[in-house]
Amino acid sequence: MKRGFALLETIVVITFVTVSLLLLYSTFTSMVDNSKKNALYDDATNIYKIYYLKEYLELNGLAFYMNGEDIRKLSCDDFSFASCTQIMDTFSLENLYLVKYGLRDYNQDNYTSSFNNYLKSLANSDDYDYRLVGEFTYEGEYHYASIGVIK
Amino acid sequence: MVKRGFTILELLISIALVSVVLLLLLRVMMSLEIINHDTSYASDDEIARTEIIRNVESDFLEYHLNGLEIVKGSDRTTLLFMMDEEKRLVIKNDSITYDDEVYTLKSSWASYSLCVNYEYFDLENDYYLVKIVIPVLIDGKNNTRRDDLELTFLGLKNELTSFDNNYAC
Repeated sequence: MKRGFALLETIVVITFVTVSLLLLYSTFTSMVDNSKKNALYDDATNIYKIYYLKEYLELNGLAFYMNGEDIRKLSCDDFSFASCTQIMDTFSLENLYLVKYGLRDYNQDNYTSSFNNYLKSLANSDDYDYRLVGEFTYEGEYHYASIGVIK
Repeated sequence: MVKRGFTILELLISIALVSVVLLLLLRVMMSLEIINHDTSYASDDEIARTEIIRNVESDFLEYHLNGLEIVKGSDRTTLLFMMDEEKRLVIKNDSITYDDEVYTLKSSWASYSLCVNYEYFDLENDYYLVKIVIPVLIDGKNNTRRDDLELTFLGLKNELTSFDNNYAC
């Protein structure tokens, strides 16, 4: 008389259990990713920093760079005021981008995956021409915040 | 001969498969634990933090921040914001009071530091930049800046503007 399970039976059951657990794992992973994104995107402090910076850059020639380019990476060399670096450092701003509002199709290879993911997460329901996107660094992590700009 | 139970090969394969899955799950659990405890505090506190920043920054924009006085006591630090309307923010270890609204920390392992960081910079064309940071301590240490309350203001000087250039806690 045969007793216990055959190897085939055992493998079928374990495969089923494994698939279920893997599904659970992928659900957990996406939950963790989402919670990380919530912590890294559009923090209140960073939104106000970008707001102040936008106001200041508008006085210092920001409009000149809204020239139809999809994404323009701005640097302090683009502006004529000496305290630009001071502001960037004080705000922990690593990079600043001027992005066409509602942009979806662009060459993602030229940018970091974290930047691409942030752009993907944005809603584009308002009437702006561009978006000023700040890439902040805190303890080696990239945080993002943005604000709409009218030409 | 009657076959009973599993062979050693069957057992080894089963154990290997289950181990792989358990290791994957353990990794996820560990990352959840880290997110939950080390780097953050309760979501209620996160909401309160955003609310405090929003209320203070809205007042900075509406009433224009002309000056700041920091008074450090034994159990509290008071920030006096000189605006068109004067407002004060009182920091205690477990709470912040702004504009008669009290925000008490819900996380038992978190506390506010009474040592506030403050920086002031003169910019071109009579503009100035102010940064005030209220550190949040997790288990007594300020390991992460993510939870800190960081208030900034970039404005144009007027006849009332007066800030100390240096402040040491």
